[in-house]
Amino acid sequence: MRKQRWLGASAALVTLTLVLAACSSGASPSASAAGSSESAPASVPVTAHSDLKIGVVTDVGTANDKNFNEYTYVGTKQGAAAIGAAEPPVTVPKDSSEFASSIQAYVDDGYDIIVTAGFSLGVATTQAAHDNPDVWFIGVDQGPPCVNAEGLPDTTFACAGDAATLLPHFVALSYQEDQAGYLAGMAAASASKSGTIGAILGISLCGPCIRYTQGFKLGAESINPDIKLVVNWVTESDFVKAFNDPVSGKSYGDQFLQQNPDVDVLFQVAGKTGNGVLDAACEAGIYGIGVDVDQSLSYPNAAKCTITSAMKSLALAVSTDIGKIVDGSMKGGDDHWDASRDGIAYGPFHDLASAFPANMADLLDAAFAKMKAGTLVTCPEKCGDLSTLK
Amino acid sequence: MTTERPPSQGRRLVALPATVWAAVALPFISIVLALLVGSIVILASEVIVPGHPFDVTLPVTAYAALFEGAFGGLDPIVNTIRAATPLVLAGLAVGLAFKAGLFNIGAQGQFLLGALGSVTVGVALNQASPFIAIPAALLAGMLAGAAWGFIPGFLKAISGAHEVVTTIMLNYVAVSVIAWAVSGPLDQPGSPSPITAQVGNAALPVIIGRNGHLGVLVALAAVLAVGWLLFRTTRGFEIRTVGANPDAARYAGMQPRLIVVLTMSLAGVLAGLAGATVVLGVTHYMMASFGTTVGFDSIAVALLGRSSPVGIVFAAILFGAMRAGAPLMQIQTGSLIPAELVDVLQATILLFLAAHEVIRHILKLRGVKAGLETTDTIARTYGRESV
Amino acid sequence: MTSDVQVTQAPALEMRGITKRYPGVLANAGISLDVRPGEIHALLGENGAGKTTLMNILYGLARPDAGEILVDGTPVEITSPHDAIAHRISMVHQHFMLVPVLSVSDNILLGEEPMAGPIFLDRARAHRRIRELGKTFGWEIDPDQRVESLSVGWQQRVEILKALYRNARILVLDEPTAVLTPQETKEIFAVLRRLRAEGYAIIFISHKLHEVLEIADRITVIRRGKVVGSRTPAATNEEDLAEMMVGREVNLTADRGTSHPGEVILRVEQVRVKDDRRSEVVQGVDLEVRSGEILGIAGVAGNGQDELVEAIVGLRRPSSGRIELAGRDVTHAGPRQRHRLGVGFVPADRHRFGLVLSFPLTDNFILTDYYEPPYARGIIRNEAAIDARARRGIRDYDVRTPSATVTTGTLSGGNQQKLIVAREFDGEQRLLVLDQPTRGLDVGSIEFIHGQTIAKRDAGTAILLVSAELDEVLELSDRIAVIYRGQIVAVRDGRTADKNEIGILMATGGSGASGSPSSPAA
Repeated sequence: MRKQRWLGASAALVTLTLVLAACSSGASPSASAAGSSESAPASVPVTAHSDLKIGVVTDVGTANDKNFNEYTYVGTKQGAAAIGAAEPPVTVPKDSSEFASSIQAYVDDGYDIIVTAGFSLGVATTQAAHDNPDVWFIGVDQGPPCVNAEGLPDTTFACAGDAATLLPHFVALSYQEDQAGYLAGMAAASASKSGTIGAILGISLCGPCIRYTQGFKLGAESINPDIKLVVNWVTESDFVKAFNDPVSGKSYGDQFLQQNPDVDVLFQVAGKTGNGVLDAACEAGIYGIGVDVDQSLSYPNAAKCTITSAMKSLALAVSTDIGKIVDGSMKGGDDHWDASRDGIAYGPFHDLASAFPANMADLLDAAFAKMKAGTLVTCPEKCGDLSTLK
Repeated sequence: MTTERPPSQGRRLVALPATVWAAVALPFISIVLALLVGSIVILASEVIVPGHPFDVTLPVTAYAALFEGAFGGLDPIVNTIRAATPLVLAGLAVGLAFKAGLFNIGAQGQFLLGALGSVTVGVALNQASPFIAIPAALLAGMLAGAAWGFIPGFLKAISGAHEVVTTIMLNYVAVSVIAWAVSGPLDQPGSPSPITAQVGNAALPVIIGRNGHLGVLVALAAVLAVGWLLFRTTRGFEIRTVGANPDAARYAGMQPRLIVVLTMSLAGVLAGLAGATVVLGVTHYMMASFGTTVGFDSIAVALLGRSSPVGIVFAAILFGAMRAGAPLMQIQTGSLIPAELVDVLQATILLFLAAHEVIRHILKLRGVKAGLETTDTIARTYGRESV
Repeated sequence: MTSDVQVTQAPALEMRGITKRYPGVLANAGISLDVRPGEIHALLGENGAGKTTLMNILYGLARPDAGEILVDGTPVEITSPHDAIAHRISMVHQHFMLVPVLSVSDNILLGEEPMAGPIFLDRARAHRRIRELGKTFGWEIDPDQRVESLSVGWQQRVEILKALYRNARILVLDEPTAVLTPQETKEIFAVLRRLRAEGYAIIFISHKLHEVLEIADRITVIRRGKVVGSRTPAATNEEDLAEMMVGREVNLTADRGTSHPGEVILRVEQVRVKDDRRSEVVQGVDLEVRSGEILGIAGVAGNGQDELVEAIVGLRRPSSGRIELAGRDVTHAGPRQRHRLGVGFVPADRHRFGLVLSFPLTDNFILTDYYEPPYARGIIRNEAAIDARARRGIRDYDVRTPSATVTTGTLSGGNQQKLIVAREFDGEQRLLVLDQPTRGLDVGSIEFIHGQTIAKRDAGTAILLVSAELDEVLELSDRIAVIYRGQIVAVRDGRTADKNEIGILMATGGSGASGSPSSPAA
């Protein structure tokens, strides 16, 4: 088999995944910048499962987006490598109407574990899990799963069925985005001199994006109660433009900063489109904050002004769960990743620690500890509701 | 100076009647050449992207997987049919407009509105009898699509606004209307992402294999209906005359403006029906990122099918097969080949079709003049001020 | 050089046994033709006789199935116009192959750009050469002028210059006079004589008998793909040539007979019409056409005839005035209403208004009646009735076609026109509007259409005939109206009108009033 794939990660990414893996075992939520040589999930016994077939279906876009799709894939590859399975392939649907058939193609080809990346694939993944009870499904950003009494995707969202028992092989990952956003908000308020910070969402329709931003707001206010947060989004409707169009992101970021000249720290919550937002921030001479992954590494172009990132441990979660599936300890249902499981983190400052007060890391670690303990509120009552940000 | 040979010994590889050339040989040659170009792209990418051993047979692996994923058994064939169904309908929407000399880039918007109309009624009637819910939801899709087709037709008739411009604009509007509807009035409360409720009893029943839905019969009925309209009715004669020669149509007492409005509305019906079959037959609900490729693939389908209803069926099957086979191709090549290869193949086929002169030159074909009337339509009508 | 050659010299070009078969048609059946330096060789034949195919083969646009081409006695292979130009063969097409928005020099240079270095055009050198070439014929050509601003006659000169610029030695002129006025024709003949004197070999394609007799040194007639014979002008006459072309005796002047005008069918009162650029090109025209008479409108092209005709048939709305048809006001009626009132129309531009070239003959036969029984029941077409209609028209009007279902565009111009005539003349017409009904047609077709026109008149139809061919107007009309700058400046009796007087009225509008020296005395 081929070692490195067409869409494969660069050397930097390999380092990064090791860093992420290291997080899981380390006590600190912030990874040290240097790569650790520790390998992925230590809890998984490395037994040979070379006959196990694992595949990935991403959301619309590209697999190597240096962001959500790619890190989900990286996590899957890691998990596969850890158990000695063949390197998993990845398929990228062109259109939301192809989600189901893309998943089905793996089922038909005899795959054992199918990872689907993104909340858009939630319904299709749930349906596939119902139709194919022998196949394991890991749905990233799809928790908590919502099924009716028959274990079918419940699109009335009454969620009367117990997914964990009805679909015991469907693992729906969810993340506590507001916690990651909270940490990023603290960093933003600390780095801001003007007292005005900004956040650009890809689209107004994205729940996780809103939760990130809600946490970001609370975190910033915890540092500076008078902080002013300007929130905007690239598009109301066009998902490609929202998450896969860095050119639009750049021009949107440019305009945003022209309209809001006081903003001196800018949080991007727009996937690959947001890479353009970070470019705009760098060009304007202000700080940027990345999303989902450590963007200083994933998007080196803007590393010079990316002071930290609001991170989800995408690779960690997926690789851990693959390990647990293999050793028989995995259970279906909601698999929630929050601070207590190191499911979220803030990104290392890299060369930009000088942007912060000297005690920044201590402050963040303290907040992270409170999150772990469950004593810090990181999202307002209407969590996920855009109106709280308007 | 060229070589001096008696002209009777000139090279004549192929002597085909023009119609056979344009309808069969040219598309076939284009497809073969596109597969060759695709192989070169695959091999080149292996060279450019380091880190794996060079595999000369990779194109063969890829195409074999593509074929297997599209035709290797009942389920793959059903997948192909499912993917081809909206392409047939939306392809007819583009092809019918071509027949009237109109370049309907708006199939995308009409498709989306049709899907929206269907899902709205389908959700409302999801507990009703399927015998009521399905026809009602299909009809709603047709009407919504018709409305979206009527607008550019009407604008062209009253002001001469070119349909290429107006339909592109309306495509953007349609995307925003969908996003608004899906995140606003139609949003299922409690959903983590903006999606509508399921269409329930309005879902098209499965009639072949695992998930081959009734939409395929709807598409075939539409093919027959459009063929009948175009070639067996006076209305179709008017449409074709307006498309072929608007001045002659005027002299013949036809009303080109009326025909333009009618044709665009009918195109909207067809594209709307395409959206309806996807939402009622495949997804059963709607989300904002719905159906981003069908509208544009349909233009390619209409071009490849030369706007003829039968040609469109074959072209749609080809494109549907590529869409259906793409996942298996990605799986079996270990993701070395992304789904975008399908886009490359589609685009290359079209390039060769549009540049049919090039093919004739490469293959030294002579005495065959007929090209693509549809590409000629684009060239001829674009920039024409009004009908 | 070739300037001192004699007519008796060996052929500059020889085509031997050229055969070309198209599906269902033998377009050229072993045609042989040669032309010597310093000779004008006329190629005469009806439309569809195979002239164009033969010239396409010569110019590399088609490949012969058999036969060979020799230049200066050496066999050559011509597979493209490029090869033809390399052999110094050049063609001046009937429909000019010029780009209207480009300048004279750009048109001449197209495909043959003189380079100064690898990238830049050497325009100055090219301009000099174009001017010099023009001067040898006494033409003051401005290389920077846009072609679209030139008259048709001058555009043709640009085509000839283009050929000469490429060092052509063998010139093929395809119906060069079809679009020219009599004066322009004289001028182009002077140019051709001069080229002949300089040793050029010229193939002159035409179906105008008197022109061929005037200019050619040798005349070769082809019919149905075969050479029927060759003549020198001294040894033949128009009747002889016409018979060779058509294959039977031809009546060159229509027997107009006597007319019996009845009631007024068409009445045009003070009609004003604007053209597409919104300038008023018909400025208050009054006309009357009675049943059983032919009113001819004579005028130099572009004096408002086309717009007047379009207003009469309903394709163009008059800005003021009134049009009556058999006593009914039809000023605001559309083409279909007028058609139903019994108006037939043979348009000047048959490709624009008259036919849909991509349709089969059947569809074109019912183009104006498609919605009516028996061709339609409700909205459903009755294919059997349509097919029968086409067969009847093909038979009655002698439309030469392999079948009723071939694409109309594949027919020759004459047969296309016969199709239109078959459609428009059929049935009980009150009024026939014939705009340039025989333009570009061969003698056989002209004879046929003229005969049909007179028959319709005798059957009581009112006929309005517009033609740029003054001979045609004089030959057919019972009355002649001269149009000049959008106004009718004179009406004369068709049988007594004087050709010179009409010509002067056409050219000047008769501003010298009645005191013209060549006023008719008859």
